[in-house]
Amino acid sequence: MAATRDAVERFGDRMAALALVRPKKPEALPVRITRHRVYILPTGFGLFLSAILAVLLLGALNYNNNPALLLVFLVAAVAHNSLVQAHLLLSGIQLKSVQADPVHAGQTINLRLLFDAQGQRLRDGLEILHDDQQHDFDLAVAGEYEASLPLTSTRRGWQEVGRLRLSTLRTLGLARAWCWLRPDTQLLVYPAPESEHVPFPEASSGDDVQRTRQHGEQPHHLRDYRTGDSPRQIAWKTSARADRLLVREYEASAAHEIEFDWYQLAGVDYEARIRRLTRWVLDAECAGARYALKIPGEQLGPDRGPEHRHACLRALALMPSSSTEPLPHG
Amino acid sequence: MADLLAPALRKLCVIAAFACALPMLFQVSVLLVACFIAIAIAGFISNRPLPALLRLLLTLLVGGLVMVQYDFDIGRDTASAVLVAMLLLKTLETHSRRDARSLIGFSLFAPFATFLQDQGPLMLTLSIPAVAMILAAANALTGQGNNALVNLPQRLRSVAAMLALALPLALAGFWLFPRLGTPLWGLPGKSQQGNGLGDRMNPNDWIDILVDDRTVFRVRFIGREPAREQMYWRGPVLWDFDGEIWSRNELDQYSSAPDVSAQGATFRYQLMLEPTERQYLPTLDLPLGAPAGSRLSAEMTAYRREPVQNLVSYEAVAAPLMKFNSALPATQRQRALRLPPNRNPRSLALAREWRAESANDSAYVERVLDWVRADFKYSISAPPLGRDSVDDFLFNTREGFCQHFSSSFVVMMRAAGVPARVVTGYAGGYKNLYGGYWSLYVRDGHAWAEIWLEGRGWVRVDPTAAVAPENILDTLTSVQGQEGLFVEGGGLSTLFDFNDSLKRGWNEFVLGFDALRQQSLLKPVGIDSAERWQLLLALGIGAGIALAITLATLLRQQMTTRDPVERAWHRFVTRMARAGHGKRVDEPAQTYGERLALSLPEQTEQLLSLSRRYVQWRYGANQTGAETLGRLASDLEQFRPVRPRRHQEKK
Repeated sequence: MAATRDAVERFGDRMAALALVRPKKPEALPVRITRHRVYILPTGFGLFLSAILAVLLLGALNYNNNPALLLVFLVAAVAHNSLVQAHLLLSGIQLKSVQADPVHAGQTINLRLLFDAQGQRLRDGLEILHDDQQHDFDLAVAGEYEASLPLTSTRRGWQEVGRLRLSTLRTLGLARAWCWLRPDTQLLVYPAPESEHVPFPEASSGDDVQRTRQHGEQPHHLRDYRTGDSPRQIAWKTSARADRLLVREYEASAAHEIEFDWYQLAGVDYEARIRRLTRWVLDAECAGARYALKIPGEQLGPDRGPEHRHACLRALALMPSSSTEPLPHG
Repeated sequence: MADLLAPALRKLCVIAAFACALPMLFQVSVLLVACFIAIAIAGFISNRPLPALLRLLLTLLVGGLVMVQYDFDIGRDTASAVLVAMLLLKTLETHSRRDARSLIGFSLFAPFATFLQDQGPLMLTLSIPAVAMILAAANALTGQGNNALVNLPQRLRSVAAMLALALPLALAGFWLFPRLGTPLWGLPGKSQQGNGLGDRMNPNDWIDILVDDRTVFRVRFIGREPAREQMYWRGPVLWDFDGEIWSRNELDQYSSAPDVSAQGATFRYQLMLEPTERQYLPTLDLPLGAPAGSRLSAEMTAYRREPVQNLVSYEAVAAPLMKFNSALPATQRQRALRLPPNRNPRSLALAREWRAESANDSAYVERVLDWVRADFKYSISAPPLGRDSVDDFLFNTREGFCQHFSSSFVVMMRAAGVPARVVTGYAGGYKNLYGGYWSLYVRDGHAWAEIWLEGRGWVRVDPTAAVAPENILDTLTSVQGQEGLFVEGGGLSTLFDFNDSLKRGWNEFVLGFDALRQQSLLKPVGIDSAERWQLLLALGIGAGIALAITLATLLRQQMTTRDPVERAWHRFVTRMARAGHGKRVDEPAQTYGERLALSLPEQTEQLLSLSRRYVQWRYGANQTGAETLGRLASDLEQFRPVRPRRHQEKK
């Protein structure tokens, strides 16, 4: 859910840039929220109510109107206690882990944040915010919750999670209590594949793939689904019978090995080369072919399967950017 | 966040606003009540914003109606009614979260306005649910509130807990927050003048005085106190009567005091006078010397050079019995006998006739008072009088209040050749038992007569006090249609006799609490009259203690699980911990059970079964039947650790 922020929140955001605000640098998970790092500022509603209470207090004092004074002090005391309650709501929560499946640059990362809580306290009305993406949730007593937030990936390589804000408006909406979370988790972003399908480098390999597909109507081997497998590989009917997700693995002969060589793509722009190799890795994996990837300083495969694909994509993702470290053209 | 409120949440906010407006409905006319309820219902059911023009029209219409109902008299009542009208109209345009929050904020003004008018028990009782609803609505506004109405009972329970938790802090603030000894501004809608009696007495002004419940002064006696019936607080003396209005001459206050000497008991007192915007200082009848900073005039009233614009405090001595050592000066005698020409012929004739039949002045006075006792009635809703006002009162209406009685009595005296004058001031007062001082209110304003008797001097006669108790038709309280506070005053003590000690306790502790009482709050620790810094220190300490109580409660506050098994498990763990087998925070229930089984070999089976069943219920996929759950809960509750035998052997 997209969130809009009021002036007080924006002030809090600016405050976060100060060196004094905790946490001062990214920290290793799990992180337990302690009272030192919970901040609280009144909301617009809180300021409005304070102004009203001030007016009522002045009036009640002036007329020495005791019921009115009692009313003012009672509401003020409830308001004060709500600030303490908001503080207590946050402290004791733990961010256990931050996870996300790798995506290609430009795609949306689905950030999964696992929270749990300490103590016998119901923690409801929590909001986790990242940039302008917000997710609302409750934490039951001694319960766990996995919040997910969409995160835009911009470029290949390691992406920092950045600053997350865990906040609440409870109990009366008079103030927002929040704390910043800066997990040091790095998220891997694969390079974006070239949008057009490009034939594999060896003309024959294209035919091989074709043949494999024809032969591969019956899979030679079924194995359990692993994260990262393409939905196209899932053997749906068999999975339904087996009551778990199964994935077809195609038999491909050694003859169908393809080599994707960085140096064969001389003349193509640096980043474009990475994109093309990414496309090829994806296509080859999809086709069930065995493939090898050769990039400067690294040779992967020949092999196939999700692990190999991940290794290839990771290697491509982590290639130094062209500007910082010019590579020799082969 | 969604711009439009969930309908249930909107309805909850409207209900909260109406709950705040409700006490006010008891204070407006039936037409306005109907109108307000109609607006509230419209606000409750309206789902989309009305067109701006229609809203404007409606606002003008309702505002106009309120003004017409109050005869365009801008005052406290009108302002309160307008406020409630606008609050209810606001419900019609409450559609976003922001609107709802401002509605809730403004709603707090409604109970405040109610308390300005009436601090009675009903209003106080009604305002508690109003505040609770406001807090519930604010709480609901922090969420989406799709089922705000369904959750309401649960929410109100947690609001009640919040209110209970807020009490220590609220009370500390209430009793210790420095009060204003002097108001910063006057009551809205009351007369522009201060709360003192004027230089004139005419029936219309006095009706206002009799319903004004502002404090005029507080007085503490040092040593003996006079009886309340004897407490006449002297103000301006009115000599001149034009047939309608009694008045005095500005210059009177510069005349010099007569030569008097006290006879019998004297009373010393300290008086704290609220700003009256007048130059006179009320003194107990009769003053033995002028209070500091003032001088006594020939008519024994104390005048200051400047009007009283701030709280003033002075000490004075009174002697109810005084001997006038010199004769009445001729000019005064002349003034004290002057009557308006061509007025009240019947009264004058009767006076002359009765005086002729009486042996002396005293006998004549007695005869007139007997007549008052027999034939006259006290009523503050007296019918208007004609041109011959005294004739009209004595022979036709025979119903009135102090103004009528004193005026007619003085005319009767003057007509019979007895020098007489009207004295205005205050009578009686309300004894503040805890503070040990008397409070006098504007409505304690009174008028009585003084006559000159040869050999005795000026003698106070209060014809109003002569009215027989059974002839008291209506009083201030019955006219106001509500129970006033502190109405226990004065020379009319039988009128306002309340024996409700409960209410008085509330009055004393809460309603009657003010700057003066606050200053004596620190008496138990040996500070008789606290300075401001001492009060602030006390506030700091008191608030600190209250805060500590609140925080301790908040930190201890356990989430009360409604689930019986969960609760039973929690108690089980606590019990085991007390027996020395605490559960580690990160320890799973199953492991904990196994560890317990090892350390308590006597109960191994039981412990294993309990923890297994609990884990099964807590984390198992299959639903356990209600009966099984009940048994699990009761087994957990009943389990008591048995000490291992070797401990017993050691004993």
